[in-house]
Amino acid sequence: MTADVTAPGLWLIGLGPGNLDQMTILALKVAKGCSKLYLEGYTAILPEEEEARLEELVGPWEKIMRESIEFPKKILDEAKSNSIGILIVGDPMQATTHIDLESHCQEHGIDFYLIPGLSATSLAVSLSGMQSYRFGRQITLPYSYGDYLPLSPLEIYIKNYKIGLHTLMLLDLDPSGMGMKQPKPMQPNEVLYLIEKMVQKIKDEREGFPLLEIPVCDWHAILLSDLGSNNQQVFAGTLGDLSKIESGKIHSFILTAKFTGMEEEAFNRRRYLA
Amino acid sequence: MGRKEDNIERAVEVMRVRDKIRNLAIAAHIDHGKTTLSDNLIAGAGMMSEDLAGKSRVLDFDDQESARGITINAASASMVHDVEGTDYLINLIDTPGHVDFGGDVTRAMRAVDGCIILACAVEGTMPQTETVVRQALKEKVRPVLFINKVDRLINELQIDGPEMMKRFEKIITKVNKLIYTFAPAELRKEWQVDVKKGTVAFGSAYYNWGMSIPYMAKSGINFTQIFEYCHNDQQKELAKKAPVHRVLLDMAVDKLPSPLVAQEYRIPNIWQGDLESDFAKSMIKCDPDGPLSLMIVKIWMDPHAGEVAVGRVYSGSIKHGESVWALGGAKAERVQQVSMMVGGDRIAVAEVSAGNIAALTGIKSAAAGVTITRNKDDTGFEPIRHYSEPVVTVAVEPKSMKDLPKFVDALRSLAKSDASLQVSTNAETGEALLAGMGELHLEITTYRIEEEQGIKVKVSEPIVVYRESIEGDNKGRPFEGKSPNRHNRFYIEVEPMPDDIIKELRDGTFGDGPVRTKDAKSTGNKFGEFGMDKDLMRKIYAINGTNVLINDTKGIQNLHETRELIIEGFNDVCKKGPVAEEPLMGVMVRLVDAKLHEDAIHRGPAQTIPAVRNSMKGALIRARSVIFEPMQNIRIDAPNDVIGGVTGELNKRRGIIEDMPVDGGTASVIGKMPVAESFGFSNSVRAASQGRAVWNTENAGYVHLPRELFNKVVAEIRDRKGLKSELPGEAQYMD
Repeated sequence: MTADVTAPGLWLIGLGPGNLDQMTILALKVAKGCSKLYLEGYTAILPEEEEARLEELVGPWEKIMRESIEFPKKILDEAKSNSIGILIVGDPMQATTHIDLESHCQEHGIDFYLIPGLSATSLAVSLSGMQSYRFGRQITLPYSYGDYLPLSPLEIYIKNYKIGLHTLMLLDLDPSGMGMKQPKPMQPNEVLYLIEKMVQKIKDEREGFPLLEIPVCDWHAILLSDLGSNNQQVFAGTLGDLSKIESGKIHSFILTAKFTGMEEEAFNRRRYLA
Repeated sequence: MGRKEDNIERAVEVMRVRDKIRNLAIAAHIDHGKTTLSDNLIAGAGMMSEDLAGKSRVLDFDDQESARGITINAASASMVHDVEGTDYLINLIDTPGHVDFGGDVTRAMRAVDGCIILACAVEGTMPQTETVVRQALKEKVRPVLFINKVDRLINELQIDGPEMMKRFEKIITKVNKLIYTFAPAELRKEWQVDVKKGTVAFGSAYYNWGMSIPYMAKSGINFTQIFEYCHNDQQKELAKKAPVHRVLLDMAVDKLPSPLVAQEYRIPNIWQGDLESDFAKSMIKCDPDGPLSLMIVKIWMDPHAGEVAVGRVYSGSIKHGESVWALGGAKAERVQQVSMMVGGDRIAVAEVSAGNIAALTGIKSAAAGVTITRNKDDTGFEPIRHYSEPVVTVAVEPKSMKDLPKFVDALRSLAKSDASLQVSTNAETGEALLAGMGELHLEITTYRIEEEQGIKVKVSEPIVVYRESIEGDNKGRPFEGKSPNRHNRFYIEVEPMPDDIIKELRDGTFGDGPVRTKDAKSTGNKFGEFGMDKDLMRKIYAINGTNVLINDTKGIQNLHETRELIIEGFNDVCKKGPVAEEPLMGVMVRLVDAKLHEDAIHRGPAQTIPAVRNSMKGALIRARSVIFEPMQNIRIDAPNDVIGGVTGELNKRRGIIEDMPVDGGTASVIGKMPVAESFGFSNSVRAASQGRAVWNTENAGYVHLPRELFNKVVAEIRDRKGLKSELPGEAQYMD
């Protein structure tokens, strides 16, 4: 770090996922040094018991939602002469939204500092047993909203699969589509339902679109639940089997492509036995 | 008693004899005696006590209609009429007399083959009657004429024989002119009414007598005798010798077509499907054994049976217990009961066959205008309309919260029976917004909630529904709207739609709602037929009312999958424009460019919808927003000596006087008045004319609100809606 930890400006501080023990010593030091702290509460969420001990670790904080990040006038004003920290679960720059804050700061001549954190995506890759160099473009599965159901995540997965790359799939938190209500992480059974709906929609809309021959419930996948927390779980199996899992709060999936080397054995070691 | 049951039995028998059926309506002005006449016809045919006729008004279900002296909805009554030993079945459909309920008249006319034009001997025909007759002629309904209130001419106005003839001639000439102008070219000569041919009758519905040339020949009564009966207070005797029902029903049987004759030339006119299909051929032949085709004319609430749908069977027979489709409904439904209507009585029968009027229960998705068939792919009589343009709203809520569930039910069935009524409810507060065609329309609607459903309600002051539009465009200067996360940007240009296209949109020529990708080409071609740029219009995304959304971008990746969200943003602004959150009218919205985040999760609803809204609102302001206000045509008739007060009243209300014809002692004022100025007009006209003026209105579309009123009106609306008083500028939609 080049700046003094108490320098005025906007500090984006990564907490790491799921458990505050994942915070780096640097993050802890910066957070304690800030004159005011916010916890960003909508791109990723912290388990309740962790939220409860946050103050003990870093001092008083206040939760902010989408509005305050997307229209950050108040925070920017404060950051002109104070050191303002925004605590972000996981790694700050994994969420596209936060890159915007960097450009806001530049526009307003406010110093911007970034403290990376351990991200759920790197944990997912690490814990899955798959080779990190065999991942294609990551996708996020959105909730449907009325007739709206984007198909591009499915297209990206199919593209990845065809060139032999695994796909890390994060899940939507906001069924309202509006970022207003309390986040509600998507559950494994909803994932199966939504992907099947997307497959149906693509069949209805586009004749001759090259789909995978395998039925959605037979797709191979790895389910990663509550990453970084004390309840962390990793299960491998078909989407059909994994969709029956009801434990866990926050999930992500790896949709696997053809295995190479040791990957198949790693997959089998993690296999879910109902 | 016995006579009524006997008649019902005979009615069921004649029902299948298609050349012995007449379906008819009465076209009349308020207070010209239509209900009295209808009741006398029904009573004369033995369907109700004769003493009650002229007093009880069987055809008016609603007490309120009697109280107001106007008929609100179309109901029907069947009766048996005997002509020289042969039974005929007369199905009479009542037509609403008030313009506020437009669609009902068209539907009633579609269900009948002939109509009796009721003119008042004293006042002649009135604009209202002319509107109804025009509608009838458009639907190829054959007219005959009855000149009513002749007793008043003789007794009150002391008119002699020659003067009476002159008056009759004037009325007949006027009616014939109307027929000549509006009847289909091939029929306008044949359909002229003529005293000598027996297509004109006259008399007094109130005193229950009538007369026509054929009946004079038959009964031996002449003009001199009629004068004598009237002068000597012997109209009761005249009624015995020449009862109005006999004269008019004879005329109907003799001069108006049976369904067998009429459907042959009417079906191609009133039904827009493939005339070569078996379905069409069966309707043209009025085949009782063909495929079922029935059009619902009206829905009314029976306190015991619930919703009753009344409609005309054009083909096939509708049977008790069978499974049918209400076209546009989600599933087949079972007909619980089939009945014939006898005034207030519903008589259950096993089936009702082609050429007749049936009443049905059990069809939940039936609504006025809907076609009932056995096959869900058959073509109906009218497209399923999603669009109407209400001009006045009131907020209504039950006085007691315990009535809330009942209130919600009542609103649901009202919305179904009245296509011109829009109902939106707030489930939490129980407040409902009723939007309708005028102050009177909504007064009647709330009255029905209170009286028929027994729910006491609180009603707000009426509010005018304005429209927002634009007077310029922002071509070449698209407005950029950003998503909250600033990763998505939309660029929109707007321009006014041509007036003739707005009219077509209003008529539903191009449909309403999102246009499916696979239909875009044909919809675009259709716009092309009306002179629009076909290639541009083929890129259509959606229609909302008289507004159109077009995707005029090229090769933007992933735009397709945000389509639904872009349409939702467009719909939001169509519902609530930027100036005063009033509905938008007549705007073509072109999306000319867009920048989208490559990951779907960052261009979801929370991002795309507000970005489109901002871009469209900014574009509308850049193209110079304007407000349109609803107008109504108005006609007031009053004696000469009070007409000055009436015109003064109209002038006070920004009225425009277009014509002031004077006819003897009566003057008329014909003109236009903004709906915003019309509230309470009833009372002030009554005061200005000492209650001697008769007036009526009809909606006349929207006109540009005068510039000098713009700020005042907008400020009032914004204040009422709790919006900031400051008008939004472009800057507000840039971030």
